[in-house]
Amino acid sequence: MLEIKNLEVKKDGLAILKNLNFSAGNSEFHVVMGPNGSGKSTLARTLAGHPEYTNYEGSIKFKNREISDLKADERLREGLMMGFQHPPRINGVNIKRFLTRVLEKIDGKEGAEKIEEKIKSATEELGFSEDLLTRNINAGLSGGERKRLELLQARLIEPEILILDEPDSGVDVDSLELISDQINWLHERGTTVVLITHYGSLLEEIDLEGARVHLFSDGKIITSGEQDLVREVEDKGFNRIYEECGCD
Amino acid sequence: MVAINNSSTKSPKEVSIERGIEKITEGKDEPEWVTELRYRGLKAFESAPQTDPIISNPLEFLADQDKTPAEGIESLDDLPQETKDLLDELGINEMEQRAIAGLTIQDGTGMIDSSFREKWEKKGVIMAPMNEALKRYPEARERFMKLYDPAANKLAAYHTAVWNGGVFLWVKEGVKAEIPLHLFFLIQQEALAQAPHIVILAEPNSEIKLIEGCTSPILSKHSLHLDMTEAYIEEGAKLDLTVLQNWPEYVHTRPTQRVKVGRDAQFSITSVGLGPGKSNITDPQYWVEEGGRVDVNSIILAREESHVDLGGVIHLEGEDSTGINNSKAVIMDDSEVITRGKINADASGTKGHISCDGLVMDDGASMETYPGLSSRVEDAELSHEAAIGEIKEEELFYLMSRGLDEEEATQLIVQGFVEPAIEDLPEEYLSEIRKIIELTVKG
Repeated sequence: MLEIKNLEVKKDGLAILKNLNFSAGNSEFHVVMGPNGSGKSTLARTLAGHPEYTNYEGSIKFKNREISDLKADERLREGLMMGFQHPPRINGVNIKRFLTRVLEKIDGKEGAEKIEEKIKSATEELGFSEDLLTRNINAGLSGGERKRLELLQARLIEPEILILDEPDSGVDVDSLELISDQINWLHERGTTVVLITHYGSLLEEIDLEGARVHLFSDGKIITSGEQDLVREVEDKGFNRIYEECGCD
Repeated sequence: MVAINNSSTKSPKEVSIERGIEKITEGKDEPEWVTELRYRGLKAFESAPQTDPIISNPLEFLADQDKTPAEGIESLDDLPQETKDLLDELGINEMEQRAIAGLTIQDGTGMIDSSFREKWEKKGVIMAPMNEALKRYPEARERFMKLYDPAANKLAAYHTAVWNGGVFLWVKEGVKAEIPLHLFFLIQQEALAQAPHIVILAEPNSEIKLIEGCTSPILSKHSLHLDMTEAYIEEGAKLDLTVLQNWPEYVHTRPTQRVKVGRDAQFSITSVGLGPGKSNITDPQYWVEEGGRVDVNSIILAREESHVDLGGVIHLEGEDSTGINNSKAVIMDDSEVITRGKINADASGTKGHISCDGLVMDDGASMETYPGLSSRVEDAELSHEAAIGEIKEEELFYLMSRGLDEEEATQLIVQGFVEPAIEDLPEEYLSEIRKIIELTVKG
């Protein structure tokens, strides 16, 4: 589904991602862990089509098609979605109107009632009251609420692949459970999940059976393994693992 | 006919204005004192200072194509098809069908009357064409052309001489009108000075909402809209005025407002310039008495080569009076927007705030803001804030990452920028404004 080969991404002349290789198949679950500043967010934003990162070296293929010429909206409509680490506030744009526009775009203009019903049920599912829909995008929301709103959108969009950039940072315990429930739900329905995080607490709530775990450092993946790698990171920290494997 | 000086001493411009006056007053049985005022404007014209940066010769816009009120028009059904189409475009017919509003239309320089007048009159709201009102109502005569100086500048003098059409709106004491009253201006002739004069009298403790709309179908030549509003909001009264302008890019607009806000009275104006025309220059003045309040909200969607200059002074003359001036501008293409609202605090306990937000969309677009605050008392609270910027890349990326293309995402951000300032408008107008943003804002 997603195949990244020898990816190099630069910002202000400085390489942030270097010789990165990664692939994810249908309905797989991938966890990407690594210290702050190691390039995880740049990877997510490059995949989502941020205009700053469209001039990359190497290749990114999604469903066997090179995506370098696709804009962010085209990538989404192809089935690739990213959940933001810091979703921006957009003044004056009502959440309900926004979600309706998004769904009209994906599902076609028909079925206003169905769209409304879908939005309502996803709102409940993510633990929001209907009052949320009258607010503006990410305005006056806590960290946890913003991340839940990202998952709410993922639930509505049902992407083929979902790249989540730290859905657990700045999130309270209750939100964490709602978020992990949604990630599990999306994965069970067949979405490929690439989950970027540097904590283990969210992963405790997630069914990692069969998941691949990748450790990131200095713009590339330096080692990969099964779910027990998460426990190792929790126990030892990134630096010791990197020293031990000699891949620092 | 009133003659004021020997025709041999008149300049060609004066002769031309005089001809305009003759045409306008011809067959109208205008009271002599009104015509005298016109000649006072004519006399002031030559010596009045030329202050407009764009219109150096208002005579380019002849006011003599006076159109008499169309015969037999009693309802919207009787309007010519092209006018109906235009109202359709503005979403007016639809609203009329729902009977939510009274409606008066000024087509060119003539007034088209609507059958709603009688209904409103029974409720204590008088709306009459200006020329008729000056004959019938002493209340109109006492307040006509009292709040400004015809010699202030050439356009003021010109308006005084050739004003045509307009209405007198009189809300009687204690009357509270629950639904808004609508007034529409259409320009349909080329090179036409449309100079309506509006007098509003809101008697003590009355309340009314007035919605004014202005537009013009496609014409090849430029036109001038030179309206003047004098409003008297008496003690405890509330007037809520919304002005929607959708002028095409060849119309120059020079709306002038002079408003007296009485003790504990409130005046609020929201003007939405969806198509501000080729140029739109305003310099309104508001005088506020004790405990009174003025709210000025301006929303401008400037495009093409529009030149928009919003001035205006709120004079806080009474104790504890309040003045608020907010503006929001979306500046596209090669247009230019300048805001220079001013608040003068002349009495104790007064409060004033100016805010200005600009969203600059293109390299050729520009915005300047000069907020003015002046206080002559110790305890006035005056403040201002301004922010001029462009659309944030992260916001655009966010919306696009959810499947909206660049144009749709841009439109949504622009709508979101504009809408908080107009959320109190009726839904019909909101959806019309959204539509216009979608038509004009490119990715």
